[in-house]
Amino acid sequence: MRTRSLLKSIGVVALMQLGGIAAAEENAATKAIEAAKSYSGTTLKSAEEAGLMAMLGMNITGPEWKQLTGIGLNVTEIPFEELFPKQMLEHKAGSGAYDVLTIGPSWVADMVRNGALEPLDPYIEKYGVKAEFDDIAPAFKDWMTFQGKTYALVVDGDVHLLYYRKDIFDDPANKEEFKAKYGYDLAPPATWKAFGEVCQFITDKYAPKLYGAGLINTGYMHFFFSERFRTYGGKFFDPETMKATVNSQPGIDALTDMVNQLKCQPPGAQTWGFGESLSALNSGEIAMTITWPPVARWAQGINADEQALSWVPESQVVDKVGYALPPGGHPELASGILLAVSPDSKNKDAAYLYIQWLHSKQESLKNVMRPLGLRDAFRISHYESPDFQNLWPTAADYLKTLRQGGEQGYSDLAILETYKYWDSMGRAVVAAIGGKDPKAALDDLAKEWDALTEQIGVDRQKAAYLEWAAKPSAYRQ
Amino acid sequence: MVSSKISHIKPTRDTPSFKHILIAPAVLIMLVMSVIPLVFVIVVSFQRLSMSDQITSFEGLVNYWRIFSDARLWEAILHTLTITFAALPVELLLGLLLAFHFVGDRPLKRLFVALLIIPSVISPMVAGSMWRLMFDDRYGPINQIIGWVAGEHISILWTINSAWVYPAIIVADVWQWTPFMFIILLAALANLDREQLDAAAIDGASSWRTFVEIILPAIRPVMMIAILIRGLDLIRMFDIVWQLTRGGPGSLTETISIYAYIRGFQEFDTSYIAAVVVLLMILFSAILVFTLKKMEIAR
Repeated sequence: MRTRSLLKSIGVVALMQLGGIAAAEENAATKAIEAAKSYSGTTLKSAEEAGLMAMLGMNITGPEWKQLTGIGLNVTEIPFEELFPKQMLEHKAGSGAYDVLTIGPSWVADMVRNGALEPLDPYIEKYGVKAEFDDIAPAFKDWMTFQGKTYALVVDGDVHLLYYRKDIFDDPANKEEFKAKYGYDLAPPATWKAFGEVCQFITDKYAPKLYGAGLINTGYMHFFFSERFRTYGGKFFDPETMKATVNSQPGIDALTDMVNQLKCQPPGAQTWGFGESLSALNSGEIAMTITWPPVARWAQGINADEQALSWVPESQVVDKVGYALPPGGHPELASGILLAVSPDSKNKDAAYLYIQWLHSKQESLKNVMRPLGLRDAFRISHYESPDFQNLWPTAADYLKTLRQGGEQGYSDLAILETYKYWDSMGRAVVAAIGGKDPKAALDDLAKEWDALTEQIGVDRQKAAYLEWAAKPSAYRQ
Repeated sequence: MVSSKISHIKPTRDTPSFKHILIAPAVLIMLVMSVIPLVFVIVVSFQRLSMSDQITSFEGLVNYWRIFSDARLWEAILHTLTITFAALPVELLLGLLLAFHFVGDRPLKRLFVALLIIPSVISPMVAGSMWRLMFDDRYGPINQIIGWVAGEHISILWTINSAWVYPAIIVADVWQWTPFMFIILLAALANLDREQLDAAAIDGASSWRTFVEIILPAIRPVMMIAILIRGLDLIRMFDIVWQLTRGGPGSLTETISIYAYIRGFQEFDTSYIAAVVVLLMILFSAILVFTLKKMEIAR
């Protein structure tokens, strides 16, 4: 009896211990907080994207981290397009200006090759919770590694979405008239040809009160063109010769359609960026747009009590916006945000623990649900979270579309010195939007790409390209 | 004997070497500050430093040869010269007209002069941002004013339409820098010899003849200095264009400075851009020396 009781007690203690270990392992946030307490009193220097991204750190996660661990956070705001050069320059100067780095997936290869990222595997081994890695959607998990090593942790899973006005698309008169004119049902367009037709139909009927679409036409154009180009069947390079093929027929068709479809967009849409497109959607001026995921929260008016978002026009389209994959069904996984540790940091452990905390299941869910911070779902648990699904009436549809986008999306081109190729592509697209002949713009782009490839080295670039092109998300079937 | 030798080599206030000793520290600092960076840039231009290459061995004239096939650079030079030759005469002419207007006694002259020079004390980055808003096709007042005059809604895409983007840049630059021309020329006109002007008037000289034969020669040296300063500023132009167009659409308004910034600091083509800088420095220095000689203002 006594033996049985003893065994029972041992069993209970063992189970409690196992349970305790399991509980600790299940929660990367708690583990990071506990370990970080030994670095209390230090202050981390973090480079973050200027604006709402940085505000999350300054207003919410920084103060919370300080309260939990005693570690302060000093945020430096840097415009997105300057994040890469600024962080690289600081690394080259060995300044140790930042402990925590904010990076895009397509920069990982270049930064690793230049020794600008601290390998994180030893830290993950020491502090991490590998079970939480299984929860990351595969496309975004892929971003964190390069040649088998982990260099960054994802905190933002960007996917382009098509936002459309359900009230316009569901209107029986519109449905009837559209079908009579085009011979198929009015629905979120599945192809770019249909996008042009739906856009024109709505503009013809409602303009100037409402236009068929208002797309982002300046800024980040490499993302938008890359998506369209690949949807049209384009490939960036000839894999044998590494000659640029952006000026192939799919490229010319994609850019020509992009320019032609400006006709059904509001006057001056050529100059629209993210802000103009968001304003037009929220104020009910456009029936469709393609943009990043936070817009769903803002169009739903979830930002109403956020002072930092007071610049977002009050939504006139609450409960009227539907979500779909952009035409072609393969949205660009446009940038996304990863956090990394600078090899020049003097507080590497504390920096790692901060990013582990932000990346953890527990903390990241809070952040992807906030209107502030521009963070978007990247974990399976985010898509399936009942809290998130109930955040607004159609949030479940939104999360389902985001998940599909993550599974079927195109990953950004990531080769040697990708940013140079992006810069050229962005300029070529904006030149065409500004009036240059699309074919001439793409021919010039191809020449610039070929010169870049020659300069970097055809064989080196070919190896990097083939490695990237082998990913299923590079070119979808 | 010894003391007389010492007194012989010891500089006194009157000896030329005394002056040289006094200015030597300043000259030395200036030389160090300008020569060291120059030598460094020249050395780097013969290497192969970029983000992916850290090769510091001598690479010969590779970077210099690349310049000749770099169409984007030559276009940037052309864009810079276009802006310079379009904006500079307008600024000079407007500055001169304003200076003539304000040279005499005018009611509230001090107030108006103070107001007129405000644009030139604003940071060019701020001025560029302000003009970007002014040229906004939806909310900007420029299109609205043109619309009122035309009697219909006007939507000119000033910062993206290739036909309008240069006028937009030139308007912004003229707005900001005409006051600089004005204030310098006003000072020059204020110091004219009144007796010569009075004599011309007594002799019955027309206003045009007085301007061409008395006023213009008198203010010429000052005017040339003003042209030179503004010309050099325009060749280095960055801020206003960056804020208005970022060098776009495409690279249609990329100036030399914007191109150098993008290639050097966004794309890390360090050695190549060093070669560009060296070549342009030689080119523009030669033009400057030639101009100074022609203007006879360096004497």
